Amino acid sequence: MCAARMPDPDVVIVGSGIAGALIAKVLATAGKRVLILEAGEQLPPDINGYMNRFLNATAKVPESPYPPELFDAKGLVDPSTVNAGRPTVLSLGARYRFGDWQDPKQAYLIQQGPLPFASTYERINGGTSRHWLGTSLRFLPSDFEMKTRFNRFVDWPIKYSHLEEWYGKAEHEIGVSADVADQSYLDIGFSSGYSYPMPKIVMSKVDAAVEAGLSGLKISAHGLDDVKWAVASTPAARNSQPYQNRRVCAGNTNCIPICPIQAKYDPSVTLADALRTGRVDIMYKTVASKVQVDESGRVSGIEWIRYQDEKGPPVERGSVTGNKKVYILAGNAIETPRLLLMSTSERTPEGVANRKDGKGFVGKYLMDHPLYLAWALAPKPVWGYRGPLSTAGIEICRDGKFRSDRGAFRIEIGNEGWNFALGDPHTTTVDFVNGINFSGLNGGKSDDPKRGEPKALFGSQLADTLNDKLARQFRLGFLIEQSPDAGNRVTVSDQFKDHLGLKRPQISYNLSEYTKQGLAAAKDTASAIFKNMGADEFTTKPNADDPSTFEWPQGSTERIKYYGAGHLVGTHRMGTSVNDSVVDDMQRSWDHKNLYLVGSGSFPTVATANPTLTLAALCLRTADDIVKNFPNL
Amino acid sequence: MTDLTRRKMLGVAAAGAVTSLSTSAEAAAPATPPAASPLPNQDDLRAFVALSSVLTGIAVLKLAPTVDPIQVKNQYFDAAKADPAFPTLLQMVRSDPDPKNPVATATKVMNDPKLKFLGRSIILAWYLGAWYDPKNLETYNQPGDHPFPLNPVKVISGTAYTQGWTWRVAQAHPMGYSELRYGYWAEDPLKLDAYIA
Repeated sequence: MCAARMPDPDVVIVGSGIAGALIAKVLATAGKRVLILEAGEQLPPDINGYMNRFLNATAKVPESPYPPELFDAKGLVDPSTVNAGRPTVLSLGARYRFGDWQDPKQAYLIQQGPLPFASTYERINGGTSRHWLGTSLRFLPSDFEMKTRFNRFVDWPIKYSHLEEWYGKAEHEIGVSADVADQSYLDIGFSSGYSYPMPKIVMSKVDAAVEAGLSGLKISAHGLDDVKWAVASTPAARNSQPYQNRRVCAGNTNCIPICPIQAKYDPSVTLADALRTGRVDIMYKTVASKVQVDESGRVSGIEWIRYQDEKGPPVERGSVTGNKKVYILAGNAIETPRLLLMSTSERTPEGVANRKDGKGFVGKYLMDHPLYLAWALAPKPVWGYRGPLSTAGIEICRDGKFRSDRGAFRIEIGNEGWNFALGDPHTTTVDFVNGINFSGLNGGKSDDPKRGEPKALFGSQLADTLNDKLARQFRLGFLIEQSPDAGNRVTVSDQFKDHLGLKRPQISYNLSEYTKQGLAAAKDTASAIFKNMGADEFTTKPNADDPSTFEWPQGSTERIKYYGAGHLVGTHRMGTSVNDSVVDDMQRSWDHKNLYLVGSGSFPTVATANPTLTLAALCLRTADDIVKNFPNL
Repeated sequence: MTDLTRRKMLGVAAAGAVTSLSTSAEAAAPATPPAASPLPNQDDLRAFVALSSVLTGIAVLKLAPTVDPIQVKNQYFDAAKADPAFPTLLQMVRSDPDPKNPVATATKVMNDPKLKFLGRSIILAWYLGAWYDPKNLETYNQPGDHPFPLNPVKVISGTAYTQGWTWRVAQAHPMGYSELRYGYWAEDPLKLDAYIA
C-alpha cells in the first residue's frame, strides 16, 4: 500500500516537483531526514507506459502522457470525481462548447474570469517539470529591479548578484547546455572562469532562416527602434553530451510533453539522488489537506489524505506533526496557496501565512507569460518537425526603456512547424486529403478576397504539395512579461470540491493594459519579422467566442489571442517585510518561522525568462540556508 | 513487448542501422501489440497495398517492405474493412486489369461519391496513423461552419502513429519518435525521394 513511513523526519516537503526535489537532495545530503508528501503516483520503473499514453492519445496535449486520465466515455473527466486533479489545455474552450472553460464539470480550475488563466500543471512525482521544455535562461539584472529602473511594480528583495552563484549551481545540478559568451547579453554576468556543464545545443535550420531574415530589420514602434535584432542559442536542460548517466538529445521534437530518452532533465533525476541517500521517504498518492499552526505561531503539523485509485475512495487519513520540524510547501503557485487558504482555523481565519482582514497576500499577484503565437510559411524549406522543440530565440528585446510602458518579451523560435499553432501536420494533411481549408494553405487565407476552392488531392500530387507546405512551416512564440496585479489571484471554492472533498482552486484573472500593450507589440513584431524574411504569415484571426482573446485595438473588431506558457508565478511573493509579501528572500514565511513556501510562487515579478532555472537557483539557496541554520529555525 | 522485439529484428535485418533503431525502440516502441484479428486474405491485402500506394503517392515497398516486421498494413486493412463501402472498393481493385498498378482504379475510386471518402480515410490512415470516419470527412466536405479541428475517431495504434507518412513527407520524423542522432537538425534532410520513392 505505502512505502515504509519515516517515523520522525526533520523536514517535511509537500510536492516532489523540481523545487521539492532539489531541496530534498540538498537537505538529505547534509544529513537531514526528509519526508515528501506527493499527491500523484510514484514514477513507473520505465516510461513506456507514459509513452504509450502519448502515442495513442488523439489530443497530444502537454498533459496527455500522464495520469490522471483526461477522458472517459462521456468526454472530459469530471474533476469532482478525481482525487488529485489538475487543469488541462483541453478545458479552455468557449462557453457551452467542448471543454467549456467555466464548466466545473470539465475544468478543474474554477475560473472566475474575466479572462481564462491559460496555463496548466501536473500533479505527479516530478511535478510539471515532467512536461517542461527545458529552457534555462537566467533572469536579467534589471528583472530584479523593476521599481528602481522603470518605476513599475516592485523590486525583488535580492539582486542578480545574490543569485549568480546559485544559478551556476542550478545549471550544474539540472545539466544545462549553453555557452557563456552567447549568454552574456543585457548585463547578464558570470563569475570568472565559469562554464556551463555542456556545450550549447546546435541550432536548427529554422533558427538559421530566422537569423538570416532579421538582417536589416527595423521596427519603429513599441520602443523597439534601437534594437539590434539577433538570434541567440537557448540554454537548455537537455544533454548535448552524455551527462548524469543520461544520453544525448536525439531530436525527438517532443520535449513537451515527454522526452522518450530522458535527454531532457526532469526532477526524477534529482529525486533518485535524494532517495539514494537513504534519508528521504516519499509518500505517494498522499494529498496534503491542512497545515496546522500552534499557539506560538509555528507550524505544528500537516494533515494528509491518501488514496489508492485515482478516482477511488480515500484509504487513509493522518498527519505528520511536531513544531520543531521544518515544513516546506513546494506545490506550485496554484496548489501551494490553495493548501494555505484551505488551512483555516481560529488561529488562521484567512489561511496559513495569510494576514487577517484581507491584508494578506497569499494567492495574490498570480502571473504567467501570456504567450503570443504567430506562424508563417518561409520562402524556402526550413525543415521543421526536427530537433528539440526550440533551440534558439530572440532575447535582445527582453529589456529596454519600454518596460516603463509595456511588458517586455522574449521570442522563442519553434522547431515544430505549425504543431503548436494548428495541431499540424495533421490539420494541413487532412485539409489537402479532404479538400477543406482550416490551415489557410488549401485555397487561401480566410481573409483573402481571391480565396479559391480547396482541392482534395491524392497520389504524388498530395505528397509533393504536403512536402512543399510542411517543410516551410515555422512559428514564433512571444513570452510576455505580465504585470503583477493583486486582482489576479487564487482563492478556494466553497462550492466546488475534488473527490477527496477538498476545495478546488478558484482563479480570478485578467490582463492589464501593460500586459496587453506587450502582446500588441509582440503581434506587430511578429508580422515585421515575417515580412523582413519574405515569409507569408498565416496566423489565424481569433474567433470572438474564444475566451483567451481580447479586443485590440480597443473599440475595433480585431482581437489578440494569448496562450498559457505553463509558467505559474507570484502567489506567495517574496519581499522586504510582512507588509508587502508572504515570504522573505529565503522563501521563509514572515508569519511562521518554520514554514517555507518555495518555487516560482515566490517571484514578485515574472520578467521574460522561463522561470524554472530561477526557481531552481532560489531553492538551492534556500536549502543551503536551512542547512546552515538548522536546528534553530 | 511484441513490438520491441519486432523493432530489434528489423535492426538485425538492416545491419548498420542497429544502434539507432534499437535506441528508438527501447524508448518509444509501444509495449502493447495491436489487438489480434485474423490475417486478411493475402490477395486482398496486396490489392489494398497497391491501391494505397497510388492513393498516398508512396512506393509499395515503402508502405509494405518485403521484410515487414511492423505489419502496420494489417491494421489499416482492418480499420478500412469495418466500413460498409469496403467490399465494393476492394472488388473494384481486385477486378482491375492491372492490379499491381491500379492508377485508373484509384482515380475511379476517388471520383466515386460513394467510395471517395473511404479512399480519403485510407490515405489519412497511412499518413497520420489515425482513423477518420468517412462520414465525418463527408460532413466536413459540405459547405457550413464546421468546428475546428476535424478529429479522428481514434489513433489506430501507437505503432501506427510512429509509422505515419506525413512526417516522412515533411522529411522529418514523428514527434516523439526520432531514429536520428544528435545535431541532425542543423543539416539538410535527405531528399524527399529517399523517404517515399
